[in-house]
Amino acid sequence: MESFFEWLQALSVSNWIATDESIWSFPTILFFHSVGMGLTAGVMFMICLRLVGVGRPLPVSSMRMLFKIFWAGFALNAVTGSLLFAAHATITGNQPIYYTKLTLIAIGVALAVPLQKFVKSDGSDGNVPSAVRGLAVAALAVWVGVITTGRFIAYLQ
Amino acid sequence: MVNLVHLHLLLNHVPTVGTIVAFGFLLLAFAKKSDDLLRGSFALFFAIALVSLATYMTGHAAEAVMKDRPGVSAELIAVHQSAAFLALVFMEATGVAAWFGLWQARKPGGRSKWASPAVLLLSVITIALMANAANIGGEIIHPEILAPGTHPSVTSGALAPYALRGAAVRYYQFHHPNAWPTLEALHFIGLSLLFGVVLVGNLRILGFMRNAPFIDIHRLLPWGVLGFVINSVTGMLFFVGQAFQYVDNIAFHFKVLFMLLAGANVLYLTLFDDVWALGTGDNAPATAKLLAASQIFLWLGVIYFGRMLPYIGGAF
Repeated sequence: MESFFEWLQALSVSNWIATDESIWSFPTILFFHSVGMGLTAGVMFMICLRLVGVGRPLPVSSMRMLFKIFWAGFALNAVTGSLLFAAHATITGNQPIYYTKLTLIAIGVALAVPLQKFVKSDGSDGNVPSAVRGLAVAALAVWVGVITTGRFIAYLQ
Repeated sequence: MVNLVHLHLLLNHVPTVGTIVAFGFLLLAFAKKSDDLLRGSFALFFAIALVSLATYMTGHAAEAVMKDRPGVSAELIAVHQSAAFLALVFMEATGVAAWFGLWQARKPGGRSKWASPAVLLLSVITIALMANAANIGGEIIHPEILAPGTHPSVTSGALAPYALRGAAVRYYQFHHPNAWPTLEALHFIGLSLLFGVVLVGNLRILGFMRNAPFIDIHRLLPWGVLGFVINSVTGMLFFVGQAFQYVDNIAFHFKVLFMLLAGANVLYLTLFDDVWALGTGDNAPATAKLLAASQIFLWLGVIYFGRMLPYIGGAF
């Protein structure tokens, strides 16, 4: 694994992100990573709050298009996150908290699939089944965890 | 050339004079039993609370310029700052209560319930604390307001508790290695909450999610305000502890400017009847769409300049 991290970090793009001092490399990628977070977690927070029962009169079916934003934000962050990782792979790749974050993201994505299936189903404007509500509560906690672990990665060197 | 000291001298009249004016409207609204006047006074309190954040922060910039001048007491500035911070806390609480008043009035057939007495009580306390802070602040550069033979009242008046002062916050930030990252994590959770509500509300205005009437978004709005409150509290803790990193930071100036504009935009959309009248399938007028797009843009700007604090402005 270590040799892979070293190879990754030695790529010219990784080197550019890590060493370029302009605002167009690392800082700009970091900005897009924050926007992606706002889109992914922000939209998922809204969907889950509604499914949990907050903001009840809002038809669940009206939130269908929000999944497009969720997946777009996720794609943006998969790309920007990989670039940020590549720049400091030998450091970040050895932090347990980084793998905690990746695990939480995997769970968050796995939870998004059944939530999307429910929101897009014909009966989504009826009662929200308690199983779906449980998934929504779990998703809220998981995305809070993703943000928290992500923030700590920047400080635990 | 106008600098941040000028700006502080200009902005410091907003929370002092402004709260008294807004309080006058509030009393008039009670006397005349006028819902319109009540909403007007709430809107004014909300706007003043926003500007007060900038008033407080420009104070730190003024401190950096003034504290070493002959005849200026650094101790008096510190006392003024502490009094101002306490006043700011109550000003922001008043602003949040006022927003809830506007929000409650937007409920179908709703009226402001607990918001009116809350704003009344909080604004009375705020006016007293602002007067106290302003009085101490005046003594910094206007010794002529003192009676002959007396000295500035360095220890008088209501001050922020020690735990909220710069030195205490700074100590905590440096002695607890997890303190700063925890505040950062909360700041980004607040960001996501706020941005999620901004997206949902404004996407509806822009024409997405059309099978929802705008009024259905109503219950989600306090979650956006919760995000804003989390970020104001954590943001002020960053600022109070490390003010020197921010006061001359151009990225920070733009961040605050974008935040104030976005806040004004939130106020306008809360008051804007055209938006609230949108029923199922309705299309919003072009002005509303322009405002909705500008609101998303402004919050993206806040995120951009926040993220650029270390890189454009050299913080940390």
